[in-house]
Amino acid sequence: MTKKPQPVLTLEEAAKREQRKISRRRFLLVLGGGVGVVAVGAYLARDTIAVEARLAFNQVFLNADTPSTAPPTQPLVWFRIDADNTAHLIIPKIEMGQGIHTALAQIAADEADLAWETVRVIQADTHSGFDPEILFTFGSSSVTSLYAPIRQVAASLREMLRAEAARQTGIDAATLVASNSAFTAGERAITYGEVVAAKQGEWSIPSNARLKTPSERTLIGKSVPRVDLYAKLTGRAVYGADARVEGMAYGAVARPPRYEAVLTRASAGTAESSPGVIAVVIEPGFAGVVADSRAHARAALALLDLEWTGGTTINQAEIDARMTIPPERGTLIQRAGSVDGAAGTRIEASYYTPMAAHAHLEAQSALAEFSADGVTITTSTQAPNLTQSYIASAMQITPVENVRVIPVYVGGGFGRKAGSDVGLEAALLARGAGVPVHVAWTREEDMLYGFRRPPTRNALSGTVENGRITSIRHELISSDVLLSPEVRATFGTSGPNFFETVLGSDPLAAYGSQIHYSVPNIAVIYHHEHLPIPTAYWRGLGSFANTFAIESFIDELAFAAGADPLDFRLAHLPAGALGARFETALNRVADASGWRDGGAQEERAFGIAACYDRKTVVALVMEVSVTGGRIRAHRAWCAVDPGLVINPDGTANQVQGSVVMGLSSTFKERWTVENGLGTATNFNAYPLLTFDEAPTIEVIPIDSSDTPTGGMGEPVLGAVPAAVANAVFALT
Amino acid sequence: MNLLINGTSHTADADPADPLLWVLRDTLGMTGTKYACGIGICGTCTVHIEGAPLRACITPVGAAEGKAITTIEGLASTDADGIETLHPVQQAFLEIQVPQCSWCMSGQMMTAAAFLANNPTPTDDDITAAMRNNYCRCGCYARVRIAVARAAVIAQESAS
Repeated sequence: MTKKPQPVLTLEEAAKREQRKISRRRFLLVLGGGVGVVAVGAYLARDTIAVEARLAFNQVFLNADTPSTAPPTQPLVWFRIDADNTAHLIIPKIEMGQGIHTALAQIAADEADLAWETVRVIQADTHSGFDPEILFTFGSSSVTSLYAPIRQVAASLREMLRAEAARQTGIDAATLVASNSAFTAGERAITYGEVVAAKQGEWSIPSNARLKTPSERTLIGKSVPRVDLYAKLTGRAVYGADARVEGMAYGAVARPPRYEAVLTRASAGTAESSPGVIAVVIEPGFAGVVADSRAHARAALALLDLEWTGGTTINQAEIDARMTIPPERGTLIQRAGSVDGAAGTRIEASYYTPMAAHAHLEAQSALAEFSADGVTITTSTQAPNLTQSYIASAMQITPVENVRVIPVYVGGGFGRKAGSDVGLEAALLARGAGVPVHVAWTREEDMLYGFRRPPTRNALSGTVENGRITSIRHELISSDVLLSPEVRATFGTSGPNFFETVLGSDPLAAYGSQIHYSVPNIAVIYHHEHLPIPTAYWRGLGSFANTFAIESFIDELAFAAGADPLDFRLAHLPAGALGARFETALNRVADASGWRDGGAQEERAFGIAACYDRKTVVALVMEVSVTGGRIRAHRAWCAVDPGLVINPDGTANQVQGSVVMGLSSTFKERWTVENGLGTATNFNAYPLLTFDEAPTIEVIPIDSSDTPTGGMGEPVLGAVPAAVANAVFALT
Repeated sequence: MNLLINGTSHTADADPADPLLWVLRDTLGMTGTKYACGIGICGTCTVHIEGAPLRACITPVGAAEGKAITTIEGLASTDADGIETLHPVQQAFLEIQVPQCSWCMSGQMMTAAAFLANNPTPTDDDITAAMRNNYCRCGCYARVRIAVARAAVIAQESAS
């Protein structure tokens, strides 16, 4: 290989190049918000700029608020009120068990003064008048992103009805009192339904309708029962796997024998004459069968004549070896002071989080139905927007609105159902076969294909002196989340490319990697390792692995300092409001668990962990025993502060579920690869935590604000393995 | 093939070896019974055959022919006026607000209903033994435990 000759620059060209460099430096400086840039010589300057700019960018991204959304402000997009006073509320978020239909309906009904028993929730689809992007349900962000807009539009509805009620009754609007879907003035009462029924012509929508004060709230903060449970408990609720339409057939799709293998040749073979087969559908890189039953479709798959080329033959041992912190510098994503030469006793520890499956019990499912207007996909998805754009792009359907995606109940999402693969499969098969097609993955397909939680290695070193942490250095290496082929396929490549080149990190893998404690010298360094195994979103993203590592390490430091783990955390709280929130949560969970007063039962130990994820503060105490090498979690107490709790019982259910899923991942789940393919195909080889292994879980919801600032679906998860590890450490 | 499901006779074009689950879900369109593992591990697809809890994913439909099959759609009762009364297990699961995604809950409730029919006053250990083979990925186990105990109480109250 010959070296590329160095270009010879004229003086003028060199000056221009320098100019560009400076302007780029200024640009980064502004975005970074006050991060200093020191330029020493041309080459070094470029290097320093990259480090500083990336640090600044990563800090901005890791600490950003939930991206604000701008949903429609027109009340009639959200609400439909019938003459009988039934209030239909169209909700642009997906219900996957997190109770979001209830929480958002509570917020709306509270502000609009709707009678709760009249509220009926309707799931919005891509054609309900909302920007489909608003439907994307991810990152525990639904309440925080929609709280303000929903209150405003609900207030608009209330005031629009009030003005019309005043006109219809001749009563001054200011004297009409709104409550329980009606206006009253003395003896006179008129329901919202009556106002709507008598309305003629266009509504006039008030701007800046007054919002209720916290003391006027009727539903926010109450444990209102879930709106979706009656249908679910009677077996009537429809999930993607339950979508049915007259005349539909069943699809099955050929899968590669190894990840990254490419379908280089495909023909129908003898599949077309197999019993029940309606069509064999072959597209570039894709082969599938449509038949009159799922069993017939799958039986015929084996008769296709397919050639898969290439692909990985990677084994688990190589994956584990590649997930070691490399000697290269990595990307600095958090810094305080200088960790080099910090004084005190030095502690080092390394943590590894393996790959995991999502193991949602409803496997990937979608129904596709073509008509003259395009295609309609009914599916359990967290991302109707991505499913829509992915199918439109892959199948060259224009305009994109000719793909309608109807999201239905999701039988467990956990990030996996932000993928859009099954929707496209159903659409390809339906187009090829000329009939509506339902595709439902088997458990085996779901365990082997799609994407996993990335493996993560965390290496921490720190120093303690006189009971204080004097430094923490945290290096992590993880595989793709945002940089995954899945994200590149559905979001497009420009976003991931931007993050890869400008941030030098996969920020979603870096979630939870920051040190929030008051420590004078901090360095957090990220490394990316792309694996030939598809990895992407898994509940909590990087927070699971990173919180496990950091919070376990804090106990190592506490031990070195001879301090109680609770007191040690309290002694290192950050200044300001965040520190105060942590202090409250830690003290509340300590009180509830009896940390300072008796502690764990005999032959058991307490472990504690705290974290700050999705702007929610979490403090968890876990009581654990170790018998004959078997770890058991007996009792858990968890304090959570998401700012304002909308529904305490819904919050409790999320926390309880997060503890169980976190324990399942801690005790049981290790998804492995041999010869380029996953080894587990079902729950016999990938068991989940069971009923008898679940602890009792007491939840302490905390309001620290009159506004929700954080999410509840994910933040608790990462504290679980750390609390367990700390309890085991205390026992042994 | 003739199948007696929830007290109603259904004719299904099926091979006796076909899993009952898919005859219910696809042939008859009764999607309240859910699929999750297909190998009898997780309990999601539990139905009753002659009152006994069985996993429909590994039960050949031929084995259920001529027997009384109960699915989640038949757990509640409906009177002559069409008024639906939930089974005590459903009432308890609703009252305790057990589910999250609820995909496993048909199986949880069918398992609990069959268990309580034979053991109307269970101990906590009895509940553990009865419910330990039903997966819930959302992690609602603690609530299932409370709700099964509560269902026993509701059933006693409504019987007396």
